[in-house]
Amino acid sequence: MKGDKLLYYSLFPFAAIVIATFILLFAVISYTSAPAIKEYGWKLFTSSAWSPSEMGPESSKYGLLSPLYGTLVSSIIAVILAFPVTISAVLVIEDYAPPRTRDLVGSLIEVMAGLPTIVYGLWGLEILAPLLKVHVYSPLHQLLGFIPLFSCRPFSGYNILTAGILLAIMVLPYMVAVARDSYRSIPMTYREAALAIGANRYEYAKIMMGMIKPGLIASALLGFGRAAGETVAVALVIGNVPLISSCILKPGYTISSLIANQFSMAPLYPYMMNVLFTGGLILLMIGVIANTVAVIMISKSRLR
Amino acid sequence: MDHAIVVEKLNVWIREDHVLKDIVLKVPQGYITAIMGPSGSGKSTLLRSMNRLVELIPGAKVKGKVKVFGKDIYTEDPYKVRKDITMVSQNPNPFPHMSIYDNVAIGPRIHKLVKNREKLDELVKWSLEKAMLWDEVKDRLSDPPTVLSGGQQQRLCLARALALKPKILMLDEPTANIDPVNSKKIEDAIKALVRDEGITVIFVTHTPAQAVRVSDFIAFIYNGKIVEYGLSRELALNPGHELTEKFLRGEIG
Repeated sequence: MKGDKLLYYSLFPFAAIVIATFILLFAVISYTSAPAIKEYGWKLFTSSAWSPSEMGPESSKYGLLSPLYGTLVSSIIAVILAFPVTISAVLVIEDYAPPRTRDLVGSLIEVMAGLPTIVYGLWGLEILAPLLKVHVYSPLHQLLGFIPLFSCRPFSGYNILTAGILLAIMVLPYMVAVARDSYRSIPMTYREAALAIGANRYEYAKIMMGMIKPGLIASALLGFGRAAGETVAVALVIGNVPLISSCILKPGYTISSLIANQFSMAPLYPYMMNVLFTGGLILLMIGVIANTVAVIMISKSRLR
Repeated sequence: MDHAIVVEKLNVWIREDHVLKDIVLKVPQGYITAIMGPSGSGKSTLLRSMNRLVELIPGAKVKGKVKVFGKDIYTEDPYKVRKDITMVSQNPNPFPHMSIYDNVAIGPRIHKLVKNREKLDELVKWSLEKAMLWDEVKDRLSDPPTVLSGGQQQRLCLARALALKPKILMLDEPTANIDPVNSKKIEDAIKALVRDEGITVIFVTHTPAQAVRVSDFIAFIYNGKIVEYGLSRELALNPGHELTEKFLRGEIG
């Protein structure tokens, strides 16, 4: 008993560090954002203008709307593209593939998760974007130009859709990991139940996927959270232009790429640092909300 | 007497284990046959060999023939085999994400057994009635199965199997984890199905009392071999083998 208490009190500080770090992080970011929010008010979130000036806060224009839009749109594209691949990957890894292929695909996906993001960024910059422009975007615009999403002429491969595609590849391993855990948690007895009524592979997969729906939603949310926070790879391919357009073949901006690009200049301009921290606060909130809902979903998805 | 299932020299290995050894068994059509034996005797594997669910067990290898109405199931489409010979598992396993109604309707929907919603409603009602559950759930068909007790859930699983209108119904220790009242209902439902619908029933049990009470024929399996097979009453009163006698007395468990 005495040992228990001793262990508890000696471990408590370390556990407390985690909580304290989070509270401190939130506090510092909020505190540093506050002056910008006070100075510019709602305009900070409703305008897309970005023209810093040394003259003073009145002549500087800061708007986070376009980066926020870019963050949300590129992340949503990423999840929409990665989701079907996630489901296929889980089915292949867990059910369809022979053991050797299964192990190969499984560990390949794990390796993907561990690669430095700058590697994805460089690959996106040098290979993916130019290839997409020639082989995908131009034909896409010609064939489906009547859809607002593809209505603009793709001048380069550096745009919101490229960012979305690159993000889809980057968040895939995380989404697969979560969905795979859910899928594995399905008790054998339900698998047997589905097969015992003569379900073929497709019907079987449909029943199983229906059963782990909360887990799949969690997987999508975690993917979204990661995509929204990804910085350097996106900064390399999104074009970094503060635009808001219904056409995803136009360049855009994301909050994280804005912070990365502007941070070095921030000390030169009044309030710019505070504005960038406000962007950080938004990212933090997106991350906290996405992850919290995901965690709730995961606990809901446990089947007995 | 016609036979619904004829098992010829069936051998099953699971990895290194020789689980079923030279099984020969004839299951009479329109009767209840019990596969009785202690735990680990291979009775569940035998059941799963007769609808090809055995293939689900990692490392399972099957040799021999299982003929259902004259056709070797191991040369047929496994999905069709499992649809025609439905099985109820030992633990109640209704799909937790589907309503009570959908749990029963899933089979007919997958196999497109009915043309319209009305016919499906009828089939669901018929299945639940035959599983002696209709009166208890008719007002909450859209609820999830988790609102039901374990015994009700097991009868829901029976209804799910019956909705496929199987000619052969298999049950793997269907009352092992269920209270006596619900057990009795399931036993009564099985007897009524055989009597009224002419279904052939095979069920696995480890309790001799239940085997004698419910079945017309008993196959006693021990250590992967069929020790004795015969009319339930005769086998119970006059066991032809020392092992059977011991098992009936409860000395092998």
